[in-house]
Amino acid sequence: MSKQINVALIGNPNTGKTSVFNALTGLNQKVGNYPGITVEKKEGICRLPRGVKAHIIDLPGTYSLNASSLDENVVIELLLNKNDKDFPDVAVVVSDVENLKRNLLLFTQIKDLEIPCILAINMADRMRYKGITLDIPHLEEQLNTKIALVSTRKNYGIDELKDLITNYKELSTAPCMNASAIDQDYFDSLQRAFPNQSLYKLWLVITQDVNFGKTDRNEIEAVADFKTKSKADLKRLQQKETIKRYQFINDTLKQGQTIDLTTAKDLRIKLDLILTHKVWGYVIFFLILLLIFQAIYDWSSIPMDFIDSTFASLSEWTKNALPEGTFTNLLSEGIIPGLGGIVIFIPQIAFLFLFISVLEESGYMSRVVFLMDRGMRRFGLSGKSVVPLISGTACAIPAIMATRNIENWKERLITILVTPFTTCSARLPVYLIIISLVIPDKRFFGLGYQAMTLMLLYLIGFGAALGSAMILNKILKIKSKTFFVVEMPNYKLPLLKNVVLTVIEKTKAFVFGAGKIILAISIILWFLASYGPGDEFNNAEDIVTTEFTDQKLSIEEFHEHVASQKLEHSFLGITGRAIEPAIRPLGYDWKIGIALVSSFAAREVFVGTLATIYSVGSDDEETIKNRMAGEVNPILGGPLFTFASGISLLLFYAFAMQCMSTLAIVQRETNSWKWPILQLVIMSAFAYIIALIAFQVLK
Amino acid sequence: MNDTIQNILAFLALGLALSFLVKKFFWKKSKKKRAFGDAHDCDNCH
Repeated sequence: MSKQINVALIGNPNTGKTSVFNALTGLNQKVGNYPGITVEKKEGICRLPRGVKAHIIDLPGTYSLNASSLDENVVIELLLNKNDKDFPDVAVVVSDVENLKRNLLLFTQIKDLEIPCILAINMADRMRYKGITLDIPHLEEQLNTKIALVSTRKNYGIDELKDLITNYKELSTAPCMNASAIDQDYFDSLQRAFPNQSLYKLWLVITQDVNFGKTDRNEIEAVADFKTKSKADLKRLQQKETIKRYQFINDTLKQGQTIDLTTAKDLRIKLDLILTHKVWGYVIFFLILLLIFQAIYDWSSIPMDFIDSTFASLSEWTKNALPEGTFTNLLSEGIIPGLGGIVIFIPQIAFLFLFISVLEESGYMSRVVFLMDRGMRRFGLSGKSVVPLISGTACAIPAIMATRNIENWKERLITILVTPFTTCSARLPVYLIIISLVIPDKRFFGLGYQAMTLMLLYLIGFGAALGSAMILNKILKIKSKTFFVVEMPNYKLPLLKNVVLTVIEKTKAFVFGAGKIILAISIILWFLASYGPGDEFNNAEDIVTTEFTDQKLSIEEFHEHVASQKLEHSFLGITGRAIEPAIRPLGYDWKIGIALVSSFAAREVFVGTLATIYSVGSDDEETIKNRMAGEVNPILGGPLFTFASGISLLLFYAFAMQCMSTLAIVQRETNSWKWPILQLVIMSAFAYIIALIAFQVLK
Repeated sequence: MNDTIQNILAFLALGLALSFLVKKFFWKKSKKKRAFGDAHDCDNCH
């Protein structure tokens, strides 16, 4: 039987920790949440020499073990709890060769917890460009550890790291620093009170509670109460600890590291001057956004058309190949079109994440955060709000969770409240299908109108977020201190493996997360559209025959009229007609009304719902787009999706809070129902008014 | 496949769909209580 060991990957943000994780685990990884909290948990399996299997956990990035955010607290919680099933047999501390001094602070803290530690110095390929030389034997001796020089970019050092992990029992667990040196008297009394506990662990338990409120750890609960010093005194001791550690690190690096600036070739400063320039920085960012949206449209049209026609054929084939009956109809008219409505958007979503991932990997995203900070302040936000707002283009849920690193409560609350305005990937299917129906496929100086409309919708989303933030900043009377610190990582060529893994992971999350809801709703909608009460539904054939006795209908026309009669008087039709008066001024019919209601579960359900509604009773092999384009306005005649109704619908989705899960996460993050309810009411009312104005002006 | 089997399969799918949505949106999972993570936690330490 093969043996399994727990390995924790720990490190500062931007040290390439996730690249090391990807190099060790490949595709054998999964993403989940830590129990009870919504911090992302990445874990994977790595096969080591001699049949040893390693369970690798990629812990959230942290600068030290003095946590100030929930993400950082996860690291300490794990390292302090030996009973945790994920407690590491060995910790791999990943550091960046260019920021070794700062990264070693965390390393020395973990080492002092007496956990076997390996120091993985990443980005070693950059040493040559930066004129850095390391004396590895000296560093290993001083830090009492084993060091692996790793470059995930050039793919070296990973095998050496695997060997070190396999032989982790040979690693010394001796601490780097004597904890008592922080304050001899205090630590002596602590040791006397808890003679069997590790001194540094005790110290962390006490200071963690100081930093982060009281935790509910039972094991050493008594220690948390061991506060013979005030909070301010304990904070001062923490600062003293940090100074002592840096003294030790400076002494270690004095001999262990040499930097020859004359041989360093650095483009970073020159690039920063341009990319964060107060004019050119914004121009470049705008051009990059334009390029992204143009590429999303141009590159994904071929696979999208292919997927669309494949699902239409599959639906037709199912209907012909399987025996007639309820289940066959459910498959061909409900499940397959509903699924088609989500799968079709995989290419565009994958391209969007491809670009976002490249921007993040290259280090450019941090420049955007820096660039935006000045502007954000005017709206009551901070530069750190840019990360949630940009993450919001993927999904508002992780974006709202990402607000946790905004220390100022008022700025955090405003960011939480306005983030749902940014265009999430769930809006993308709705936008894409409606744009393709109502915006001409023409170009202006090489730029497509459709791509520009999509970009405009993204800008409207950001604009709405900023505008509402400014209003909230004036309304909310919360006083709190604010500061902004952001790390500027070096520019790097994005690693293909990391980019591909991110695209796969995000696309998978989108398809499987939303896909299950869409499938379930498609099934229910099909039933509601295929059954109905009363004679109007049950005697549809007779009613159509009587109504059209004077006209000679072909068999096809007869079937179409029967299907239409049944749909109109089905449970779904009755519900839709009930809400139609409220949405008719916006240019929508009852079928769109049903799609609006069902998409409250998740916005992307909109397309699947319409695909299901338009498929019920239809015998034609048609793509979703063609079915929607062929819909006739029941009142005015002519196409249902006109420029006016299309723009109205786009604006409705741009502003409406159509997402149950986002409301749930806002409730969780604000610990109150007041904010999500206000968000729902205000956003929906605003969306309705704007959509109404748009339709009435444009019709 | 006769009508009865077709009906059973279809309504089974409906039952699964309904139970999935109820579980997803209305089922309250009991969660371990954590003292940290409260809205104002970080205000005291900065």
